[in-house]
Amino acid sequence: MTEERSIARMLAEIDRRIIYLLLFIVVTVPILRPVAMPLAVSPDTKQYYKVLNALGPDDIVLFVLDTEFSGYMEIQSGVLASARLIIEKGAKMAIACSHPEATGIPPMMFSYLRDVMKRYDYKYGEDYVVLGYIFPNEAAVASSAQDFHGVVKEDWQGRPIKGTFLDRIHDWKDWSLIAIFSTGVRSDAFIRHYGLRGTPMVINCIGVMIPTTKPYVDTGIFKALLPSMRGGAELEKLINAPGPGLAAMDCFTFGHYLVIIFIIIANIGYFGYVRRRAER
Amino acid sequence: MTPLDLIIAIVAAFLSMCMFSTLYGKSSPLYALAEESYIGFGTGLTVVVNVLYIYRTGILGIKAGNWVLILGIILGIMVLFRVHPKYDYIARLPIAIALGAQFGLALRTTIFTGFLDQIRATIVPLFSGDAQTILYRWTIALCVIFMLTFFLYTIELKGPLKWSATIGEYMMYIAFGAIFAQTFMGRLALFVGTMQYLATPPWKKPILVASMVIVLALLIALDKTGLLERWTPEE
Repeated sequence: MTEERSIARMLAEIDRRIIYLLLFIVVTVPILRPVAMPLAVSPDTKQYYKVLNALGPDDIVLFVLDTEFSGYMEIQSGVLASARLIIEKGAKMAIACSHPEATGIPPMMFSYLRDVMKRYDYKYGEDYVVLGYIFPNEAAVASSAQDFHGVVKEDWQGRPIKGTFLDRIHDWKDWSLIAIFSTGVRSDAFIRHYGLRGTPMVINCIGVMIPTTKPYVDTGIFKALLPSMRGGAELEKLINAPGPGLAAMDCFTFGHYLVIIFIIIANIGYFGYVRRRAER
Repeated sequence: MTPLDLIIAIVAAFLSMCMFSTLYGKSSPLYALAEESYIGFGTGLTVVVNVLYIYRTGILGIKAGNWVLILGIILGIMVLFRVHPKYDYIARLPIAIALGAQFGLALRTTIFTGFLDQIRATIVPLFSGDAQTILYRWTIALCVIFMLTFFLYTIELKGPLKWSATIGEYMMYIAFGAIFAQTFMGRLALFVGTMQYLATPPWKKPILVASMVIVLALLIALDKTGLLERWTPEE
């Protein structure tokens, strides 16, 4: 009995640095040495794929990077896989940022997608335009929904957007789709000023946003939701283009197993030592 | 790989590992270095991007003849008075206008997106669709009823109402568990994404491993010699 209690006490009082260290090792090792664990595709991702796969050369997509740089790491796979699919479908793409740090993302994105852009002859001005930081606040989003060219006149390098495919855009109804890649900076404003009016929208958001974003899928404001990095990995699998998402799934799997083990250990420690001590 | 790529990889890996040094459990000058660098970088970038935004939308707009934008520029300059203790009251006016405009724009539509549409999405046919759809709809309908009864504060909960409230309470616990799991997945994804960025392409891997070893060795050495606390700047 005494021995049991001492084990329970040891489990209840594990130094948190050991937990951090183990999690660090378990997550880092698969990045250095990938294992390629199997992955199932969720209905959410299938729905997201269906919406993007229905795009054609006549469609124009507003590709909104609603993220700061640290959060981008979580949705990077979704951003890259979605952009690749849009390029493959031949749809036009206007890339906009709603956070100053997001302005560094498009060059990295196109550097990664260089091969597929070359293969599909996807050209700047004809097929895509980088608008830069154009949505600093809700007023800018609201105005762009009513008079797009009143708010945006140039691309990120100061070149006029007149004469590009964006001539076809006047207000909220002219976009074929708004794809938001969000850590929650400005996505609510798009819901209020585009989604509510009926512009088709999809979102790839970070994990903590999923519970608050899902209700908007039920209301039909978002046509589909790509959940976190896991969704990005599933999309990579669906479009047969392995990228950072699929490579990260090993880390996810091992990380989640470790947390389940820690939850069991913590409960043994709690019921075997902490609670008994409190009862005494 | 260019020399610039190499420098970026080294700085990124070293500063990231310095950030993770907080997991050591003690304040450290390495963490302070990384934190201050990030704040400096973030502030600098935000200032540059926003000034550029003001120039493109404001100054160029005025030059093109859109005189009403001058009002915006004046209001923007008025905000800067906030740094002056004697005239900081001047900043209240533009801030009040900005807040009012924000509330007006948001509240007008939130009643639909956050309230009416959500109620409408809950009131759905319970007997149509395939088995999975029916199951989902029943789950949503029942959960809403059970949880709403939990939040009835003005009457005493007895009999079936009490049962309903108790079931609602347990359903909320399940929901909290799901939210925690999503949050954990998100935080893990942030960490994994950062580590991937530091380890891809493969030539970055030795830099990452070396940064880990150097930062850990520095932490232990500073801790053992008592310099960890002495060299950490005060908050």
